[in-house]
Amino acid sequence: MPPSQTNTTSKLSSLQRDWLSIALSLGGVLLLYYSIPLVSLLLSVQPTTIFAELANPAVQRAIVTSVFGASLSTFLATVLGLPLAYWLARRKTIWQQVTLGFVVLPLVLPPTVSGVVLLTVIGPTTLLGDVASVSGISLTRSLAGVVLAQTFVASPFVVVTAKAAIERVDETLEHASRALGKSRLQTTHKITLPLAGPGILAGVTLAFARAMGEFGATMMLAYYPRTMPVQIWVSFVSAGVERAYPVAIILLAVALISLIVLHTIAHNPWT
Amino acid sequence: MTLTLTDITTTYEDFTLGPLSLVVDNEVLAVLGPSGSGKTTILSSVAGIVQPDTGSIYLNERSLIDCPIEHRDIGVVFQDGALFPHMTAYENIAYAATTPEHIDKYTTLLDIAQILDRKPAALSGGERQRVALARTLAADPSALLLDEPLSSLDTPIRRRLRGDLRALFQTLDIPVIYVTHDQQTATALGDRLAIVQAGMIKQIGTPQMIRNAPNSAFVARFTGNENLFTATVTDHNEHGAIIRIGEQTVQTTVTWTGDDCVTASIHPARIQVGSQSMNDLTDPSHSFTGTVVQQLTEGSMTRVTIAVQTADIALTATVHPPMTHQLSLIPDETVEITFSSTAVHLFARE
Repeated sequence: MPPSQTNTTSKLSSLQRDWLSIALSLGGVLLLYYSIPLVSLLLSVQPTTIFAELANPAVQRAIVTSVFGASLSTFLATVLGLPLAYWLARRKTIWQQVTLGFVVLPLVLPPTVSGVVLLTVIGPTTLLGDVASVSGISLTRSLAGVVLAQTFVASPFVVVTAKAAIERVDETLEHASRALGKSRLQTTHKITLPLAGPGILAGVTLAFARAMGEFGATMMLAYYPRTMPVQIWVSFVSAGVERAYPVAIILLAVALISLIVLHTIAHNPWT
Repeated sequence: MTLTLTDITTTYEDFTLGPLSLVVDNEVLAVLGPSGSGKTTILSSVAGIVQPDTGSIYLNERSLIDCPIEHRDIGVVFQDGALFPHMTAYENIAYAATTPEHIDKYTTLLDIAQILDRKPAALSGGERQRVALARTLAADPSALLLDEPLSSLDTPIRRRLRGDLRALFQTLDIPVIYVTHDQQTATALGDRLAIVQAGMIKQIGTPQMIRNAPNSAFVARFTGNENLFTATVTDHNEHGAIIRIGEQTVQTTVTWTGDDCVTASIHPARIQVGSQSMNDLTDPSHSFTGTVVQQLTEGSMTRVTIAVQTADIALTATVHPPMTHQLSLIPDETVEITFSSTAVHLFARE
């Protein structure tokens, strides 16, 4: 390689290194802001305290309510959200944009506002609330209330992520499948869903994690039965922040497991 | 089987196709046209991917309008193969196959038995198209549509697959529509050509008929005729119109009744350079003296551009071996060119 070319390559490489160093320094500040509080929380509680808290019946009930409620709301978000995501991905009309606006609204609303919004529809004094109450179902201060609140805030994650995943599946593949004599349902089952699967699963996992952590809307709709975030708040206001730490660590563990699952399944084996 | 399109118009995004009508029997119709001319929209309309605004499509007696894609019984081979990336080549074919025998038959016929366990990402462009074709045929369609399946392949692979496709089409007894922008592929594969421009069929006929008698300057140009000149019709006699190109008078065999200002064309393959033998050279013929401007070698053929000073034009002729070696075709060399009156076509000025 001629000396002038060596110098140019060396300068470019040096510039690239300098820029990457600056990027890492700036990003590193944010990284520390994420990690230090988490490590600090873990160090602030003895394992024995965590196990003792796990033996607390109120905490156990909160874990069961959170996991069961989040599973149910994720199921609802998936069953109802996937068809909507498919429609949004495959139809390019003005209604698609309007619908998408409604879908992302719960993502940008403050959670307590989401709770207030829901109370105007399913609260005890509303028509729906009355009808449900007469049927023996309480839509607030019940597991149903927890599920409704969690579904409202978590389902957009399924719709938005699944829409993006389905959009990435080349529509020509669906045409090819149908031209081979396969129905829309067979095509969706055999072609679209397997190809969009990793993206859809990522959305489902995010929705589950969001539902597990839901606090504001749940507080407004269903203070009882307590979910884990509500239990953390109750422990904090009644017994101080130290009593909130162990439950927070348990919730953190659940969130981390969700992230690990997300990272594992988000890898698309076909690309 | 007969595929019949009658007065089809299709609006797709900002493009309008038609109205066009086509009848395709058990033959290969090559639809040839430039990008954006509506070739793919024709296929999409027949396949059911887009819905025509007006007109009818019949496969024998069965109407395909309002019929869902999956019930049309029409196989489609897409430009890039559209193989399902999460399935192996075998699984792609088995997904479509109506019987297990079809899998064996078409994997053997298309010579892909050794690549069946590979996923599409591990296949070459040519292999992908072979699998796509086997998959489509395994579904036992009543008509076949192919959307430029060779366009993304390298020349040697394209040439080989073109030969294989020609042999395959001869074994099929169904209507085949093959869309392409490549004149060589169209003439090699098509029993008939349909030349498409701006959503309309400009001319339809056998490749030889279109080459020998293009009906417009566009068709002439798009089928490889680059010799298009401005000319004036000066007189008529018992043979046909007499035209003037520059200072040169040329007898044609065209009966011309239109405007005197015309576009004249002479296909490069019908121009004789030097003493090159030519079968269709009949009297009256024309001989000009010209100067070689440029020569381009395209495979075994040489394309020579010759300036004819008296006509103030540059004519392109194709020269084949052994004449290529016998003639001196270097720039500035003076050569004799001859063409028959029947080789001259006249079109209204566009």
